[in-house]
Amino acid sequence: MTSVPLLEVRDFSLEFRTRSGTVRAIEHVNLRLNKGEIVGLVGESGSGKSVLSYAMLGISDSAARVTGGSAVFGGIDLLSASESTLSDLRGREISMIFQSPRTALNPIRPVGRQIEDVLRRHAIATRGRTGPDMGQGLRERSVQALREVAIADPERRWSAYPFEMSGGMCQRVMIAIALACRPSLLIADEPTTGLDVTTQAAVMDLITGLARERQMATLFITHDLGLAAEYCDRIVVMHAGHAVESAPTKALFAAPRHPYTARLMSSTPGPESSLASLEPVPGQLPDLRRSDLPPCRFSERCIRASALCSDTLPLLDADAVHAVACWHPMEAAHV
Amino acid sequence: MSEAPLLQVERLSKRFPVGGRRGATLYAVDDVSFSLQPGESLGLVGESGCGKSTLVRLLARLLDSTEGRIVFDGQDLAEIPAKRFARHPLRSAIQLVFQDPTDSLNPRYTARDTIAEPCRLLGGMDAVATQARVDEVAAQVGLPTELLSRYPHQLSGGQKARVGIARALAPRPRLLILDEPTAALDVSVQAVVLQLLDRLRRELGLATLFVSHDLNVVRLLTDRVFVMYLGKMVEMGPSTAVFSQPAHPYTKALVSSIPGHGQRIRLDGEVQSPIDPPPLCRFRSRCQSVQDRCQREMPALRGESHVAACHFV
Amino acid sequence: MNNTLRHVRHVLSENPVTMVAAALFGLFVLLAIFGPLIVPYDPLASGAAHALKPPSAAHWFGTDSLGRDILSRTIVATRLDLGIAVAAVVLSFGIGIALGLAAGYFGGGWDLTVTRLSDTIMAFPLFVLAMGIVAALGNTVGNIVLATAIINLPFYVRVARAETNVRRSAGFIEAARLSGNGDLRILALHLFPNILPPAMVQVSLNMGWAILNAAGLSFIGLGVRPPTPEWGILVAEGAQFIVSGEWWVSFFPGAVLMLAVFSFNLLGDALRDIFDPRKRT
Repeated sequence: MTSVPLLEVRDFSLEFRTRSGTVRAIEHVNLRLNKGEIVGLVGESGSGKSVLSYAMLGISDSAARVTGGSAVFGGIDLLSASESTLSDLRGREISMIFQSPRTALNPIRPVGRQIEDVLRRHAIATRGRTGPDMGQGLRERSVQALREVAIADPERRWSAYPFEMSGGMCQRVMIAIALACRPSLLIADEPTTGLDVTTQAAVMDLITGLARERQMATLFITHDLGLAAEYCDRIVVMHAGHAVESAPTKALFAAPRHPYTARLMSSTPGPESSLASLEPVPGQLPDLRRSDLPPCRFSERCIRASALCSDTLPLLDADAVHAVACWHPMEAAHV
Repeated sequence: MSEAPLLQVERLSKRFPVGGRRGATLYAVDDVSFSLQPGESLGLVGESGCGKSTLVRLLARLLDSTEGRIVFDGQDLAEIPAKRFARHPLRSAIQLVFQDPTDSLNPRYTARDTIAEPCRLLGGMDAVATQARVDEVAAQVGLPTELLSRYPHQLSGGQKARVGIARALAPRPRLLILDEPTAALDVSVQAVVLQLLDRLRRELGLATLFVSHDLNVVRLLTDRVFVMYLGKMVEMGPSTAVFSQPAHPYTKALVSSIPGHGQRIRLDGEVQSPIDPPPLCRFRSRCQSVQDRCQREMPALRGESHVAACHFV
Repeated sequence: MNNTLRHVRHVLSENPVTMVAAALFGLFVLLAIFGPLIVPYDPLASGAAHALKPPSAAHWFGTDSLGRDILSRTIVATRLDLGIAVAAVVLSFGIGIALGLAAGYFGGGWDLTVTRLSDTIMAFPLFVLAMGIVAALGNTVGNIVLATAIINLPFYVRVARAETNVRRSAGFIEAARLSGNGDLRILALHLFPNILPPAMVQVSLNMGWAILNAAGLSFIGLGVRPPTPEWGILVAEGAQFIVSGEWWVSFFPGAVLMLAVFSFNLLGDALRDIFDPRKRT
């Protein structure tokens, strides 16, 4: 008996109308996220991973059009929900942290106040209190939020401005803002890109630690396979707007089944690889504006491609544990 | 009798005055010394604030040093002001590949213009010779000729990176400095560029200084590596040795932070300020193995071919 | 060249407002060049019998107090107004961009001097400065051009300085040094072409402003003097008649002036699009 997933994305398609044509950015994507699960959404730039997450929260670019599918969260379809419904959900039930912390924080407001903003918006710690009491409740909660993200001396740091803090600390503040209202789903869009390796490790430890502690589902978007391998329970690989493979982390790395996933792994330098062993992904990402795109967008540079691949779209079976969207998947791992 | 080094850096320092208190100085690069043989590949590893960008600019002569010597082929380049180095005969000998291919290409120059410029200015080539050289170098980096007439915004990240490499190779440098050349690239493109860089290095016999924060990448492309922290060199040695048996506590923490490298050493404690630092180990506020001696005495680089600046290696 | 023309056509066709602005601009340029050849009447020919006639089939814009055809005078004035504006803007642009580039790139003493100069100029209202120059150097069109050029200098200095500052430490400038470029080459070949797009927007806005300045100065009697037709003078000549009901004497020259300024302002964006290679597909 499977439990109801926290977030269920079915057959999601999205396109961008641009001056130079329509970009079919996302096509028929199935994605499932269970409570407390940490899922990595891995793909290169242009794979649609960030676009997908923005669409979940209704903060897509104005040129974006959802052309199909649903994204059900707690009984609500996020793709067709009203702005006011989404606005209530954002920060309260679903939070997001972004890639560059400095630009995500308001440069002219003290960081503590920015945490208070989200608390106030969702009336946390203010219920039942009025006047100066309300302020005090907010103040305590926001200082507490700073403490929870391991910022030393939170009372003093409360009144600091983003420019006075390092990149790693700004990222922690952003995490504090995102988690202040204890959401049940966190979307982290490349939260450690641009941070030093040591800071990256600390930030990832923090996010996953808090996620486990609070049973918070996390969708971790990244281009770094190694990072995803280290921290995620399950990984979904995206290529050119399609979800091509989805599997528990260990299974994926033991035996990737989609040719793209395999190539992605072999082109990433690891502790054991040598230069000669690196096998880059051949060719380039297809232009998503083309009207003659084959159904499987990897088929044009895949050595296993056949006529079937240019004919019918292989779909990801959302119910399978190790799912792959391919007509000629590689060998499954032998149990 | 070993060959004379191509590059010998001696006690190089760069200090910036900072506003505020009188005499406050930022020690961006502090007393760094190393040498590089012709054809050798040296890696430079460090995190943000360690001074590697400043060191790169000092070596590429875009910036003047406060102290120290940069002896290239027997001549101390530090004596030539950076402002005048653009027209110096040795300008072509040291070239730099930048981190961000988009930022480092003039948006109003085609790829051909960009690669041709050093040929004309540094190589003194006429139009015919320049054209030939551009084609030659473009072929070397795997850039198709039809892309040469394009502007940067019409090129992909990997293609722009190749233009940057071609531009650096065009004047036939003897030392190539690569400042995080694949950091801004996608993983699949990264692999291609790394293999390209390795091939070029072997074919052209260039000495290279490869700066990166990605330790996996540095390990693949370099013979020796040195680690910087807050302006100082804390460890240097053969690449495989430094990564498999790091000596300095900072290097140990760095290596352990790479995903998949086992138990991570957490670095707690505040990073020291690079402004007016006392003559003590810069890492002592975050070091796991800190002891009394660290608060009293500055550690020197100790060891033979694999050195580390720590009292307790 | 083909590419440029195709790009220009693409930019113009994209936005209907740009098309309108371009058409108007083209019209004004044509009038400036061919105006005197196509006017129905001699702009200076007066005839008391036809004085202050309202707009009619014979005189589309009516006639003024000396019986001169206002349409003819307005058309002929285009050349002078545009001429003054172009001369002032070119002068302003040339000097202003050069000073701004130097200030932004070299910093230090250059920056200090140029910004102080710019601040000083900005402290003067145009008319006060123009009157000062006219009083010192004489009441000629040339001096009006000079006054307008000086007043507009700070805009170009500011744009050039800011854009140069932003790009000064960009990778491609450092790369240019590595490629053997000295400071002068960097300023001319690397920085200048890249600050051109925002500067071009400034030029177009400035043209509108410069036309207005020229008209304004003539309105108060500085520079161009009657009977030379010039939009400001034409408006001045008709000012006294508005109260008595002969609205057309001021109205039409004023409307044409407004249209000219309007079309130049609209053109600003289109110019930027044309000059910015990033917009090329």
